[in-house]
Amino acid sequence: MKEFVLDEPLTEGFLAFLRQFGTVRYLDTLKKPYFSFEKEQFISIKGFVGDESVEVRYNKEYQDLLGDYFHLLLYYFRQGPAGIMQLKQIEESLNEKMKIRQGTREGART
Amino acid sequence: MEPIPQNGHKGLIYLNNAATSWPKPPGVIAEVKKSLQNPYFEQGRTTAGGAIDYPVAARTALAGFFCAEKPDHIIFTQNATDSLNLLIHGFTRNAPAPFHTITTELEHNSVLRPLHALEMDGAITLTTVPCTDNRVSLTTIKEALRADTRLVVMTHGSNVLGSVQDIKSIAEYLRANDIFFIVDGAQTAGHIPIDLSHMPVDAFIFTGHKALFGIPGIGGFYLSDPAAIAITKQGGTGSDSASLRHPRDMPTRFEAGTHNYPGIASLYAGVRFIEGISLAAIERKGRELTASFIRALKKTDTIHIYNESPDLPIVSFNIDGLDNHETGFILARAYQVITRTGLHCAPLVHQRIDGGNGCVRASLSWFTTPDECQVAAEAIREVAKECA
Repeated sequence: MKEFVLDEPLTEGFLAFLRQFGTVRYLDTLKKPYFSFEKEQFISIKGFVGDESVEVRYNKEYQDLLGDYFHLLLYYFRQGPAGIMQLKQIEESLNEKMKIRQGTREGART
Repeated sequence: MEPIPQNGHKGLIYLNNAATSWPKPPGVIAEVKKSLQNPYFEQGRTTAGGAIDYPVAARTALAGFFCAEKPDHIIFTQNATDSLNLLIHGFTRNAPAPFHTITTELEHNSVLRPLHALEMDGAITLTTVPCTDNRVSLTTIKEALRADTRLVVMTHGSNVLGSVQDIKSIAEYLRANDIFFIVDGAQTAGHIPIDLSHMPVDAFIFTGHKALFGIPGIGGFYLSDPAAIAITKQGGTGSDSASLRHPRDMPTRFEAGTHNYPGIASLYAGVRFIEGISLAAIERKGRELTASFIRALKKTDTIHIYNESPDLPIVSFNIDGLDNHETGFILARAYQVITRTGLHCAPLVHQRIDGGNGCVRASLSWFTTPDECQVAAEAIREVAKECA
């Protein structure tokens, strides 16, 4: 688990961006508008819209591959709609690497 | 009550006292400071004089606190986990192995992991007995006994359910049957009276940083018969230094190396603080506050409480539709209510109560106020209502 302090507060726009990549839960009627983001096999994020910090948990098994994923989300969010396509391509590449590693592990077990 | 300095944490509602108590009494902080300001003094380890010999003072205070016959049989360790490791491994090394051991599903990993390691090594066979209504009965222990049972290790109070176990009757039965009994009092010491003169356990474990108001890094145990436990640590004791054989006398038998002096000072001051209030008052306040906290939570039916009548000030719950980590995160960040989430290092009891997914634990201390309980309960209810 890592906690990141951001340059600027999180926005609902960022949540809309996150929805392109995983499941977002948004509880906007709480005292502070809470959200969580879950991308299976990748990461989960917890935070509040309007806050400048978030808690990020990585899939331990692929932490070396996914260590920059949260930064990629922030970076490509700033690129606007084009960022969605670019990040999806990176994700495909990451998925491939994860599959290869999983296959190697399963092969080693048999 | 003396106001407690919160050092910039004004507004924080700290309900994680079953992990580590906070705030600490001013007397504890002052005693730690004093212990660091004065030259270290302990017989055999310095030529300095005139300061307090904290290990001796704390041993005496703790022996009185637990109604233990011999202060020298109080041994200092790092914490309850350290104590349990020393006792479990020390007993196993001494006993004709392999032998049968009984433990319970209420246990912390500080019990479960050493026992599991010994089981994997073939040193013991292990039976883990279930609880009924948050308690493990003498009948359940009796049913698990075998001809080769030599050891029973169990908690005095569950760190998840806050249920105090009937240690006295189990201890009397096991003593009559010559079975060594180790009791983990990490959650009870400082919350309820413990009278070792009427509770014939072979070893009773305590830790300093919870309800005894000490600082982290200090704990210990009381041991009736030192010969039952093999010496697993050797080193300097400040006594009999010409001999390469580690001393057999108590307490040096189980204490090698320089003591955690500030930690022991904190424990000494913590016990004195409790005695100044009285355990009866602490226990009464804990029960009353916990009961009112539970009553408040029960007003919202999407809050699932796992222990509606705890003996200790511990309340474990989940909010329907919300993961326990999320609940804890929201409470901490949006409401400044600090709890502990997850499995609380007690995986087996969570398998029983919540399918092993974990829950939120709110744990109170003497310093928790009725207002704090009310505000925290309102916060939890608000989250539950919004998530419904």
